[in-house]
Amino acid sequence: MNQIVKRNESADTGGGAMDGHIEKLTETARLLRQDIVRMIHLAGDGHPGPSLSVADIVVALYFEVMHIDPSNPRWPERDRFILSKGHACPALYAALARLGYFSLDELPGLRSLESMLQGHPDMNKTPGIDSTSGSLGNGISVGLGMALAGRLKGQDYYTYVVTGDGELEEGVVWEAMMAAKHYNVGRLVVFIDNNEMQSGGPVDKVSGLYPILPKVEAFGWHCQEINGHDFVEILGALERAKAETEHPSVILAHTVKGQGVPFMIGDNSWHKRVPTEEELKEAMIALGGD
Amino acid sequence: MKHENTRIAVTETLMELAAKDSNIALVCADSLLVLKAKPFVDEYPDRFFDVGIAEQNAVCCAAGMASCGLIPFVATYAGFITMRACEQVRTFVAYPGLNVKLIGANGGIGSGEREGVTHQFFEDLGILRTISGITIVVPADAGQVREAVKAVAYTKGPAYIRIGSGRDPVVFEEYVPFELGKARILRKAGRDVVIFANGFILPRVLQAAEELEQKGIKATVVEVHTLKPLDNERIANVLDECGAAVTVEDHNIIGGLGSAIAEVIAEEVPVPLVRVGLRDTFPRSGATEELLDHYHIGVKDIVGAACKAIEKKKSVY
Repeated sequence: MNQIVKRNESADTGGGAMDGHIEKLTETARLLRQDIVRMIHLAGDGHPGPSLSVADIVVALYFEVMHIDPSNPRWPERDRFILSKGHACPALYAALARLGYFSLDELPGLRSLESMLQGHPDMNKTPGIDSTSGSLGNGISVGLGMALAGRLKGQDYYTYVVTGDGELEEGVVWEAMMAAKHYNVGRLVVFIDNNEMQSGGPVDKVSGLYPILPKVEAFGWHCQEINGHDFVEILGALERAKAETEHPSVILAHTVKGQGVPFMIGDNSWHKRVPTEEELKEAMIALGGD
Repeated sequence: MKHENTRIAVTETLMELAAKDSNIALVCADSLLVLKAKPFVDEYPDRFFDVGIAEQNAVCCAAGMASCGLIPFVATYAGFITMRACEQVRTFVAYPGLNVKLIGANGGIGSGEREGVTHQFFEDLGILRTISGITIVVPADAGQVREAVKAVAYTKGPAYIRIGSGRDPVVFEEYVPFELGKARILRKAGRDVVIFANGFILPRVLQAAEELEQKGIKATVVEVHTLKPLDNERIANVLDECGAAVTVEDHNIIGGLGSAIAEVIAEEVPVPLVRVGLRDTFPRSGATEELLDHYHIGVKDIVGAACKAIEKKKSVY
């Protein structure tokens, strides 16, 4: 089903004025993946696989698409982001640090007592986090509330949610899908990080969730399907999702758990596992780092 | 006994608040008719959100709204907020300390009455009391509900207000002010025993205090409308003065007012305590007054509990 997307492959498919952007985003994603693996190694805890699968989506949103102001994290007009799969927060923390919401020096503190970086996102402890998250399935619903509030207040920000595929097994997801269609919130865009794995193994072995898109389509959402590691596809889908102002949008992004670190791919023990010194070195070489 | 609808009291007060503050919103889970909220919808259609029979979604949506500056009131049945959407209340409202207000209808077996267990909610207060950061209010009647709604609207942070079925007894015939977080001495007859109570059960407590008086027993009655934060100081003072205590609540005897008072007693003022409430069982359908009597939350039960507490006090000294 999913194919492993090689780093930089996407840059070649860009063309024209986007080339520079794509290269920059690809480079940022490479650095972010290094941050993720190093951070989890140093912290001695965390979820590398799911963080690596979502990294390109996070980079595309934070470094290209979202209207944000790192010097004013609570700017009322900003676009909102909710990482519903909160366990992938190393990707988000690295992005926020690289944007200047806080120092990169904070990253190794992940999950430790004095750190601003909780095991799962906390909107009050970490600058730039728009919603507390991590108990699965709730992000779309919180995003719906943000989108409804924006519309009521006459603000034109977008609310972006990234959910895992496994967490779509939660009932509240479909409650939110139904209500979002009912209210036709056009400024709500949901990525499904479809890496096909969840904690207990392959999604299709754990539940009867698949196929996903026909279900979402039946709920009346604007649906697209892309390669979640291809910036041209991610940005194209975001452009179309933003242009669709009458309906909420889902972008089903085919991704690979552990993307960028070959020895993590296909081994679901990396859902939550700490790389050893050796493994860190191997990962850094794969990611073109030191 | 005079009655006034606590649900209508919520809706009318929200309309009053909404007229002054454009951030006030109402979130329902197909509970529009439960709340008699049609007038609110007519007046403020863009500030009314019905997410369908989906309480988890209602609570999370409200959290998202509050994070963007709105003051959403989520109003539906008490048990569906505190049990069906318990984790959403805990993780997405209480933990981030968002300005979401929860209104729980059918609080107690008396309010659920003929509906039976599915719609009688006697665990709500115990559940919420274990979650950090939520103000919990159990108003006595519709007039107090109005005051409580205003008080929580003007106090930043998560709050829960327990309301009734719509056939709710009037406790205070005239306006009485409401101070969030303060226990109120309703009757100060003497120092034999103190009876702590809250909610729609109060008329029974006051009647029991009268009957005790006729037996020559002086009972002080304290209304603990704010279950959290608890007015420890006043409660400890009264316990110290009276030396024996009774708690009366329309809630499981585990987790609610009785437990809260027991904690103060155990840690601060060790005196005998007798708790009156639903004795950790599932009740049946029935008429309110019959039900409360049947499940030992009757006037005679309160009188008996007071006598027992006083007996214990005598045996202690």
